Amino acid sequence: MSKKPRETANIGAGLWKATGMWAWLLFRISGLILVFYLGAHILVISTAQWSEAGKTFNDLMKAFEHPVLVLLDLALVVAVLYHALNGVRVILMDLGIGVRSHKLVYWICMAVVVIVFAVFAYVAFTYIITGKGVM
Amino acid sequence: MKAESVTSHRGGMWAWLFQRITAVLLIVCLAIHLVFTHIVGIGDISYDTIGDRLAHAGFIAVDIILLAAGTFHALNGLRMVLMDYWFTSRKRALALTVVLWVVGLAALVYGIWALWPWIS
Repeated sequence: MSKKPRETANIGAGLWKATGMWAWLLFRISGLILVFYLGAHILVISTAQWSEAGKTFNDLMKAFEHPVLVLLDLALVVAVLYHALNGVRVILMDLGIGVRSHKLVYWICMAVVVIVFAVFAYVAFTYIITGKGVM
Repeated sequence: MKAESVTSHRGGMWAWLFQRITAVLLIVCLAIHLVFTHIVGIGDISYDTIGDRLAHAGFIAVDIILLAAGTFHALNGLRMVLMDYWFTSRKRALALTVVLWVVGLAALVYGIWALWPWIS
């Protein structure tokens, strides 16, 4: 609960001072990126059907091993993790869990984003530098 | 701003519920997908290695759930965003819903066709 007096004028602008409004905007942006990516992903995977023994598909997968595309993949991981963990927060709020400490819940979720991202970043940079996986 | 425009279930209770059910499915299946495809399998993705993975029924189930739940979640999410801007009237929202269902079912069929060489 905010101790500041309730704003009666220009309510929309006041909302942008709240964490929740930025969480909502980033949720939307990451969601739209993922919708676009899902379409592209289905199209790319379907190239397995475009030529004999998946030749087109294999050529594409080879191209995706380029460092720039590995980094783009890593950027996509950020969108996925943010959307997933903010989504967890939304569901927790829907269930009435942690409503009273919703900002703390948000920052715990963001900490999970950072930790899981670090794992993916380690794997991606290991691959870019050594050309090998970590497993 | 009207109160109804900020509630998350404006698109209908069933859509709201399925958005959450598919969200949970996506978190579980996407975690499996990302670990096996992009951590364990990084740099080793090809027509053949995917075939090896999809020889297991469990991985086929994961991919089909990702396709179906992902398509629903993505298009319903897009629907919620679009309904905030242009498809605000009941009539426009209905038209949008119908179009997105057609697009979604087409994507589902196309996606299963794409996976067919590995799962059949």
